[in-house]
Amino acid sequence: MIELIEVMKTYQAGLATPFTAVDRVSLTIPDARLTVLKGPSGSGKTTLLTLIGCMARPTSGRIHLHGLPAGTLPALQAGDSVEITSLPERFLTTIRRRTFGFIFQQFNLVRGISVLENVLLPTYPMGLDHQEVEGRAVQRLEGLGLARLIRSSVDRLSGGEAQRVAIARALINDPAVIIADEPTAHLDSRLSEDFMELMGEFRAAGKTLLITSHDPIVYGSPLADLVVEMRDGQIVAGA
Amino acid sequence: MIQHPGILALLLASGLVSLLLMAAGWQGLRILRGWDLHSGSEGQLDLERRTYLVSTLVANALVIQILSLFLFIFTADGLHTQFVGAMCAAGSLAADPFGYPTLLAKIATCLLAGVWLILHRADTQGYDYPLIRPKYVLLLALVPLVLTETWLQARYLMGLKADVMTSCCGSLFGQGRQGFAAELAGLPHQIMQPVFWITFVALLVAGLVLVRRRRGAALFSLLSLAFLLVSVASLISFFCLYIYELPTHHCPFCLLQREYWFVGYPLYGTLLAGAISGLGVGVLAPFSARDSLKGILPRMQARLAWVALGMAALFTLIVGIWMLLSPLKL
Repeated sequence: MIELIEVMKTYQAGLATPFTAVDRVSLTIPDARLTVLKGPSGSGKTTLLTLIGCMARPTSGRIHLHGLPAGTLPALQAGDSVEITSLPERFLTTIRRRTFGFIFQQFNLVRGISVLENVLLPTYPMGLDHQEVEGRAVQRLEGLGLARLIRSSVDRLSGGEAQRVAIARALINDPAVIIADEPTAHLDSRLSEDFMELMGEFRAAGKTLLITSHDPIVYGSPLADLVVEMRDGQIVAGA
Repeated sequence: MIQHPGILALLLASGLVSLLLMAAGWQGLRILRGWDLHSGSEGQLDLERRTYLVSTLVANALVIQILSLFLFIFTADGLHTQFVGAMCAAGSLAADPFGYPTLLAKIATCLLAGVWLILHRADTQGYDYPLIRPKYVLLLALVPLVLTETWLQARYLMGLKADVMTSCCGSLFGQGRQGFAAELAGLPHQIMQPVFWITFVALLVAGLVLVRRRRGAALFSLLSLAFLLVSVASLISFFCLYIYELPTHHCPFCLLQREYWFVGYPLYGTLLAGAISGLGVGVLAPFSARDSLKGILPRMQARLAWVALGMAALFTLIVGIWMLLSPLKL
């Protein structure tokens, strides 16, 4: 479970033109459920996602991760909680690598290298056995219907294929939480529905899913357990 | 003031370290007054970000502080040719009344800086800043000490004038003279030899008990400090006689010269590193029950104990080999 308490993010704080992107947000994101943050552009969805995913720090407020697996951080027991906004950077990096898988709006695949190499990228800092993770990556890509593209360069992929590669990459370290930022923004309706179907499978497998979207296929999906509406940095409905 | 690269480097380094520590001390005061990890206030989050930066800067400054002790000794040794009567760093330090107080202040700051670095290292192993308060309390104790040392060193180095008459080490560390140095030189080797070996064996035993049974951290720390003091006294009393192959030369500074293979640097280096590691074991002991450090601190203490034992053994090995190979027999 992810618990946000009075989280606030102000850019250019202390300068002449401060901008508060997230304004005192308190929210509980349940485990093994699909939560959607919806709202117009500029409503603070992506900023909130970056704060939860340890990619940025809030200006104030706290974010707790509950029920972490043992060994996530040194001296942490299974089921312990950790407050992530205060964590020194090296621990944040560990949490980011082990707990979260990210699917970005632009997919952020590294051009010039193959599909398999892209999927393997998050495993390199973990120091895992290469053969073992390569086997895992191949299995994951096959599961997503990308078996024939494993050795292909990512430059030749269609939008839907690129997104599935991004999903495989997000899952390669077996994270408990999958974070997706506007994942259907570049997909047609059929591919968007395919994407939601995949998310449903991950939810059934026990993954916690957190998606930002203003696409009705996503927030209107029966798979969405919790839909939180944001506007001007604040939650206006659903929390 | 004598224009010398070592003097300029020491003044610059001390000035920078002092400025950094004053800024860090101010931050330390803010932390001690306002730190509350349960609060998600803007001020608390700001402190958390700042402490990461400040601690990193202080850690680097204190490494420079530790190294500056050796640069100071090296510079004092190199300057002895400027003074009438000086044969080594002992004469250079005696050329101004602030010389020896500076050396003692630098040794004290070196030990405390080393302990702070150990505390800092332990603090960064825990995810919730487990030692933030003790770390900054120690830093606040370090700040006035470093400022005093900077002032003493500036008075000493800027007050040095070439061609002044000073005492040679033979006179400062000669038996039958007045003063603390002469008293150390006059300690009879028949007493100091057993005292040294007993302290060494006691340190070994305490270290092994600590590593195997995880007990006796405070005792091990005390023995590490005692080993430093006893070793320096033994060096002056009898070890250096074997190194110089002279039954009357007790100077602890001539060891730093080329004709004695600069053996003083490894000897003092091992003693200081051993004492810092040993003190670190005891300093960490009260915090081993903290949740985020469980299992981490005992391992760290054991590693520090091994370093302290290794350094003591290396020191003993160097002086022991010299005792065996020296033609001088006491």
